[in-house]
Amino acid sequence: MSYTINTAFKKELTKYGAGNWNECFHCGNCTAICPLTEDGFLFPRKSIRSIQLGLDEKITANIDPWLCYYCGECSETCPRDANPGELMMTLRRYLTAAYDWTGLARKFYTSKIWEFGVMVIFFLIIITLFALFLPPSSQIFSNPAAFINAEGGVMINQMVDGISGEQFMKIIHYGDWVMAAIVAILLVSNIFSMFYKVILRDKSIQIPVTAYFTEFWQLIYNFLVQPKFSKCENKNYWSGHLFLMTGYTIMFIVIVTMLPLFQIEEIKPWYHWQRLLGYYATFGIMYFLIVAAIGRIKKSNIKFKFSHPSDWLFIVMLGLTTISGILVHIFRITGLPLLTYVTYVLHLAILVPMIIIEVPFSKWSHLAYRPFAAYFERLKKAAIRYQLKNEKLITT
Amino acid sequence: MEDQLNDNYYPETLVVGGGIAGIQASLEIANSKNKVYLLEKTGTIGGHMAKFDKTFPTLDCAACILTPKMVEVGQHDFIKLITNSELLSISGTPGNFSVKILKHTRRVNIKVCIGCGICAEKCPTKVVDEFDEGTSLRKAIYIPFPQAVPNKYLIDPEHCTYVQSGKCGVCAKVCPADAVELDSIDETIELKVGNIILATGFKPFDARKIDQFAYGKYPNVLTSLELERLINASGPTGGEITFRSQDKKGNWIFQKGNGEPKSFAIIHCVGSRDEQHRKYCSRVCCMYSLKLAHLIKEKIPKAEVCEYFIDMRAYGKGYEEFYERIQSEGVNLIRGRTAKVESKNGYLRLRSEDIIHQKIIESEVDMVILSVGLEPADDTVKLAKMAGIEIGDDGWFRQLGIDSDAEHTSKKGILIAGACQGPKDIPDSVAQGSAAAAIVLQNVMKNVRPAGHEMSVSEHIVDVPDIV
Repeated sequence: MSYTINTAFKKELTKYGAGNWNECFHCGNCTAICPLTEDGFLFPRKSIRSIQLGLDEKITANIDPWLCYYCGECSETCPRDANPGELMMTLRRYLTAAYDWTGLARKFYTSKIWEFGVMVIFFLIIITLFALFLPPSSQIFSNPAAFINAEGGVMINQMVDGISGEQFMKIIHYGDWVMAAIVAILLVSNIFSMFYKVILRDKSIQIPVTAYFTEFWQLIYNFLVQPKFSKCENKNYWSGHLFLMTGYTIMFIVIVTMLPLFQIEEIKPWYHWQRLLGYYATFGIMYFLIVAAIGRIKKSNIKFKFSHPSDWLFIVMLGLTTISGILVHIFRITGLPLLTYVTYVLHLAILVPMIIIEVPFSKWSHLAYRPFAAYFERLKKAAIRYQLKNEKLITT
Repeated sequence: MEDQLNDNYYPETLVVGGGIAGIQASLEIANSKNKVYLLEKTGTIGGHMAKFDKTFPTLDCAACILTPKMVEVGQHDFIKLITNSELLSISGTPGNFSVKILKHTRRVNIKVCIGCGICAEKCPTKVVDEFDEGTSLRKAIYIPFPQAVPNKYLIDPEHCTYVQSGKCGVCAKVCPADAVELDSIDETIELKVGNIILATGFKPFDARKIDQFAYGKYPNVLTSLELERLINASGPTGGEITFRSQDKKGNWIFQKGNGEPKSFAIIHCVGSRDEQHRKYCSRVCCMYSLKLAHLIKEKIPKAEVCEYFIDMRAYGKGYEEFYERIQSEGVNLIRGRTAKVESKNGYLRLRSEDIIHQKIIESEVDMVILSVGLEPADDTVKLAKMAGIEIGDDGWFRQLGIDSDAEHTSKKGILIAGACQGPKDIPDSVAQGSAAAAIVLQNVMKNVRPAGHEMSVSEHIVDVPDIV
């Protein structure tokens, strides 16, 4: 099986991240020092070689970048300063774009205009929709006290004239479902694209059908707990990320499935389970976001030394979403209806473009690709065991 | 015209550094009956070559090649050897340099000392031996190594009890020749020379700077030079390769009978080809690593030796053949530089990627040897300032032009030779020594004629037919 060197691909890849990978002289130090590598899934040097030769098909079939958690040991000890750690990050961005059959991810990663532009357009769309169809009641200016409930808080669903509180909440709720459905369909289709590129297209492996079922728990386990991340030497990043991830997951579940229960007129006491859950989720998200933001500004750790625009966009959008959410909460409980309405709209206007772009097309897709990569890794290993057992030749 | 005879031109040359390059340059100049001052910082000439056991690619005994030259230097009528001394300043112009030298006192009168060694026997102070790269101990009064030139004792003032606190003085009492002069002081001497050759050599990279390889953490992680001394018959164990262990005082020592390691790993490119330490390739390490593998197998035929390298650089005359020879002797060669050395169950555990096989290779060995690179010597910056020459970006003295002017510097009359110009092996150091000597002699001949010798034009021209 021979190949030709694809120079155009090498150039294309530089749009997805920085790094001196041409300078790698293949000493193997990075692969040997990585605590997460094992035979069959050696990285990062092998990936660097693929890039040096422009082997685009090999790279899109490779799941190694998703098995790396960027501890940065490889970059710190690389004799050529070739930034292997950043290369794996670059490949994660590239693969996110490669799995996406719509081609939009590629646009977002390689063009700042597209990425910021689409965000701004959706921001304006949401604001316009609210302005046209769900404008605030004029009473917000003339008689704000009309919206204050018995506990002194704002009755959040009542602020639009002409529809009942329940109708308002239902509109938002269904809107959330529509958004979640679109995003889910796109993401699932991209997962199939990943499956095709990683598993189906590889003729050299035969995965026994039973493995799809026996290894399925790996998918769930990796999604929930990220055990591979915990194998890095510094476990603080794993635990901080788990904090954020559980926080975000709680928020997601609450908003998509339990909005009628949460977006209600009465203000529950601070120790109520609903509020405590909300605080946990908010704190979890903000804590790790702040760690990441400070890290990227100070470049304190090698993993934060290089920042692609997509890295900052994620932090900023999620940060603004959470901050606007916090403000909604504060204005609600302190009884400021106009500010509550304004920040609520802003909250949605930031959240919607963020979800629409980040989940299927950008950084957030890792919530699917990483667990599936762990799943596919197990499937491949099962294939090798099966083929060895049945003495079938493995051709690579 | 530059070729004017110059009454103020000094035909004497100062060679700074008594390693193989400096020795070669001195001999070349002295053999043309021009006077040389050979200045050496330590108590003996010989440099790093004196520490080696065998040289690559011929596996000649290093001392057998070096010591005849050292003796020649010591006995040469035209070489004045100034040891245990350092350069203080250089002033003047090419052809007319005035150099100040600080002659550290040996506290031993070498005209009288017979080299019997009773002083060292009785000396109570033990010091880590630098010549043996820290693998053994010497006394505060010592000869650096058995074939030293001059083969006389000297006192190490930093560790001598008498010098530091006025007590002891046993050596003076027991010396049969009354050669010990404990109270003598350093002196400054001034020389006038026409040319200066800097041949100050190198220092090995300090492997403690790289944590991954655990040098200094585990006693059986050695540098290449430490192994070289261990294997040498004049080393700490008389040439026996043994484990290093801790003595009662907590010092790490090699002792005869301490047990023989059976498996070895040699890790290349320690400190070299490394953006965080020295970017350049030190040229000699691949070859000396192969040589060490051979020497180990010579002493311990059943030893398992693995070399972990990035590229194998065997570019010189006979070098590729030497590489092939070492491979044929069953040394395991693995392309893939080890990432870390750890200790487990008394073994040293290495983790590397076997690049060709594309697998992780984990091995447990008894002893790890780090092929440390070459670095500019500590006084390079000071000397460059003194001489008014430049240092290159890589830290070595900057030559005028790499292709044709490797021994010239930016200053006329100051030349460089040997490893101080850039890491190189013995053949190239010797060649540069000769080259620098030729340049010096050219300078001298242009400006100075021996008294009473007038060459007439007709003496030169030989009858050559016209080219048709």
